[in-house]
Amino acid sequence: MPVRVHLSSNLRGPTGGVAEVEAEGATVGALIDDLDRRYPGLGDALRSGVSVVINDLLIAHPDYEPVADGARIYFVPQTAGG
Amino acid sequence: MTVTEPKPSYKYIGTRPVRHDGVEKVTGRARFAADLNLPGQLHGIAVRSPHAHARIVSIDTSEAEAMPGVKSVITGDDFPAVAPGDRNYDMCVNVIARDKVFYEGHAVAAVAAITREQAQQAAAAVKVAYDVLPPVLTIDDALAPGAPVLHGHMLTAGADPPAEEPSNISNITRFAGGDLDAGFAAADLVIEREFTTQPVHQGYIETHACVADTGQDGHTSIWCSSQGHFNVRSSTATLLGWETTRIRVIPAEIGGGFGGKTTIYLEPLAVAMSAKAGRPVKMVMSRDEVFRATGPAPGTRLKVKLGVQSDGNLVAGDAYLIYTNGAYAGPGGLLGAMTVFESYDIENFNIEALDVVINTARSAAYRAPAAPLTAFAMETLLDEVATELGIDPMDLRLQNAVTEGDPSTMGFPFARIGFVECLEAIRDHPHYTAPLGPNQGRGLAAGYWFNIGESSSATVNLNEDGTATVVTGSPDIGGSRASMALMAAEVLGIDVYDIRPVVGDTEAVGFTDVTEGSRATFATGMAVVEASRKMVVELRGRAAKMMGVDVDDIDWVDGQAVYTGSDGEKDPLPLAAITGKAKRTGGPLTTTGSLEAHGAGPGFAVHLCDVEVDQETGVVRVVRYTASQDAGTAIHPSYVEGQIQGGVAQGVGWALNEEYIYDSDGVMENPSFLDYRVPVASYLPMIDAIIVEVPNPAHPYGVRGVGETGIVPPIPAVANAIHNATGCRLRDLPMSPIRVLDAITSNGGSKGA
Amino acid sequence: MSRVHVTCTINGDPIEFLCDGGQTLLDALRDEVGLTGAKEGCGTGDCGACSIVMDGRLLCSCLALAPEADGTTISTVEGLASGDDLHPLQQCFLEGAALQCGVCTPGFLVAAKALLDRNPDPTETEIRYGLAGNLCRCTGYDKIVRAVQTAAQTINES
Repeated sequence: MPVRVHLSSNLRGPTGGVAEVEAEGATVGALIDDLDRRYPGLGDALRSGVSVVINDLLIAHPDYEPVADGARIYFVPQTAGG
Repeated sequence: MTVTEPKPSYKYIGTRPVRHDGVEKVTGRARFAADLNLPGQLHGIAVRSPHAHARIVSIDTSEAEAMPGVKSVITGDDFPAVAPGDRNYDMCVNVIARDKVFYEGHAVAAVAAITREQAQQAAAAVKVAYDVLPPVLTIDDALAPGAPVLHGHMLTAGADPPAEEPSNISNITRFAGGDLDAGFAAADLVIEREFTTQPVHQGYIETHACVADTGQDGHTSIWCSSQGHFNVRSSTATLLGWETTRIRVIPAEIGGGFGGKTTIYLEPLAVAMSAKAGRPVKMVMSRDEVFRATGPAPGTRLKVKLGVQSDGNLVAGDAYLIYTNGAYAGPGGLLGAMTVFESYDIENFNIEALDVVINTARSAAYRAPAAPLTAFAMETLLDEVATELGIDPMDLRLQNAVTEGDPSTMGFPFARIGFVECLEAIRDHPHYTAPLGPNQGRGLAAGYWFNIGESSSATVNLNEDGTATVVTGSPDIGGSRASMALMAAEVLGIDVYDIRPVVGDTEAVGFTDVTEGSRATFATGMAVVEASRKMVVELRGRAAKMMGVDVDDIDWVDGQAVYTGSDGEKDPLPLAAITGKAKRTGGPLTTTGSLEAHGAGPGFAVHLCDVEVDQETGVVRVVRYTASQDAGTAIHPSYVEGQIQGGVAQGVGWALNEEYIYDSDGVMENPSFLDYRVPVASYLPMIDAIIVEVPNPAHPYGVRGVGETGIVPPIPAVANAIHNATGCRLRDLPMSPIRVLDAITSNGGSKGA
Repeated sequence: MSRVHVTCTINGDPIEFLCDGGQTLLDALRDEVGLTGAKEGCGTGDCGACSIVMDGRLLCSCLALAPEADGTTISTVEGLASGDDLHPLQQCFLEGAALQCGVCTPGFLVAAKALLDRNPDPTETEIRYGLAGNLCRCTGYDKIVRAVQTAAQTINES
């Protein structure tokens, strides 16, 4: 089942500026692989320095995070701190 | 304290015990890195570049090596080569320069000798031939056509189309949402302003220091002051090309960090010299070195434009942000872009942020990096909007504040956040309506910071007498050990003083990321809670064995195993009774918690500042200050208040006084606490800290990080107060007496628009 | 270079040490005498982390030369408590959470003791000016000032 994926606007180059796309994958890592097939180049953009928000939780290193049916996934830049 | 909703009643969380490391600190016995000396120890000193930008032609160490007492001299050649573009290149060549120096104070060599004086003399005898290059010192220098390019390999990341030629722009970040033109077309009021700010230093009172001891077997121990000893280990290993297991890092007490001790400077030099000399090497930076070679937070030029409807509804925002990150690529602009409009619901926006490199020390993180500056721009603009539209500045913020479910600039919906609650706490405080005296003004401003999670580990060891030792990997920079003990006490049900919280070295506890991003009490606290909960499971099992009952019939209540089964009454077993029999019930009682913490809840703060302006001298005095902040749940309220108050003091210094001043060659002109003036006690009033508690759903006790957000609102709060007192809008930092006086004079000397 | 022999009283104990003529008193206390409570935050007398009292005068020990200590009576943070009994200032700093990182704390305690010895009942303003030679970057001074107020009250009531 495809899920809806939202990209922060700095990550939309490979989608031609489209903010929300669909993709499939049981984990965030698999989702990124699928996104890269659909939008070549997007995989590289999402594999470094990017976090996700799933179910209200900000997750910094999400590769193996499971993706449930109907989930909404938000890709956002990674933050830092002092 | 403002409690916004009913919360579970805790026995220990929310109380204010004396911190466990306190007595050692008030008696002068706590060991900071510079307090440690080892037998046979040498003293190491770095040789630093007097030039801001130069090619190193040659380094002649022969004279220094021949001097009395000198045991080791090293240069960049003593470290493995690192290729430009390698992901560790910046960190490695910042610690010790290779072919080029990029700022005044850049280390080019280091010397170790029997006495510090011998090392100083030898350092002066190291002959470095430089081919001096023109320095790039300002944003304009960096962006000028034909500007000298610092790094020939640096292509702008995020450029569209992709960069083909190197430049001084390391990164471009763009965020956009909605329809900007339509947003501004729908606005009744459009205001655009430009702001400039200068680099500032974190200003921790303890200078960087370490002692490294490399043994005959090639293993090294490093005692040092850092915000993250695991990071010291990995970074030092990277620089030396060593396996991680060759290095053990033992955290000393740390005398302040504020982000500035999240990176390394001295440790690889000390280890390399110790390995070469076969003796321990101690290095302690002078304050002068700290100013010239470490820290600063970025300087900026910010242009922000807002479109507002006459009822106060924000409809469009456009930001163009430039951050200097010192000599190497840094995240200032990216973080500025992520924070500038984050607190308000603005449907149509465009943000473009540039990160540029210049010939000043490599920027380090400083408490909510980048956010105080975007808040300066955004929150003073809001104040101007409120004045123009005749709306109360509080109402304008309440009307536009983000709440749960509103989209962030990055698109995701906010979870439960406490911004509105922080605004209301200030609105309802007597300060908000208190009368002002002559020449006084009042300023309101808000601030936001993400907070982060990352990896943390904790070990809980129960001792034979029923006390507990809680070991974590998070250096304690503001009282976090007390918080760890409180959370463990809450789970285990034993007195907080029966728990000894300690910070373990890299071989004594699981991997733990740097104490940064306000993460220690949040993330390491989660690890402590996890380890403590596992311990309760273990204790129930042991108690079941001792009572001869099924474990499912044992509850853990208030530090005791309580039998809940139907087989009659049984005396509860207190924790000490179980630990005393541990040998007979299965052995030592040890549990660990290691995790990657998800869901760091964002922190919001709202500040209210009264200033008094001397109309003849331009001197601004902060006369009253009230600050509210959402802590989620305050584990130790005194130290939450302390974080808020400390952030305010640093922010006020940033607003009014602090700045790096360079001459035209890029030499810092104010590298001392005499000339770089941080606030002293007589400069500040009491700071009334209001803790707001909107629990973070992702933490077992609702914790949000509190370390950073408090530094975000003070700059605009002070600026808005100055406007309220004088009618003058100051948009350049610091708002020093001369700038304030100039503004008053050009404004006709009276309270104007 | 021959070393200078210094005889003085530190925290009530007779102390002898050898130092270099150009060595600061701070370095001599830390490296020759082994009292590391005084800290070097700046080395230029601007931060107060190395505060001590010499012959009744509050002093940044980084600004004095070690040979100047000869024949003097010195007190440092290590001499503030009597055995296991903390000085009221130390107790109030602990209970009032008046320290975070704690590196400036020894200097503040010594300066606050000197202030209360001189002025047992200072106003808030007098405390703030009395401690203006000491930098704290963590606390914003609020809890430090309050701790000194409470300590003054405790001392005056005892």
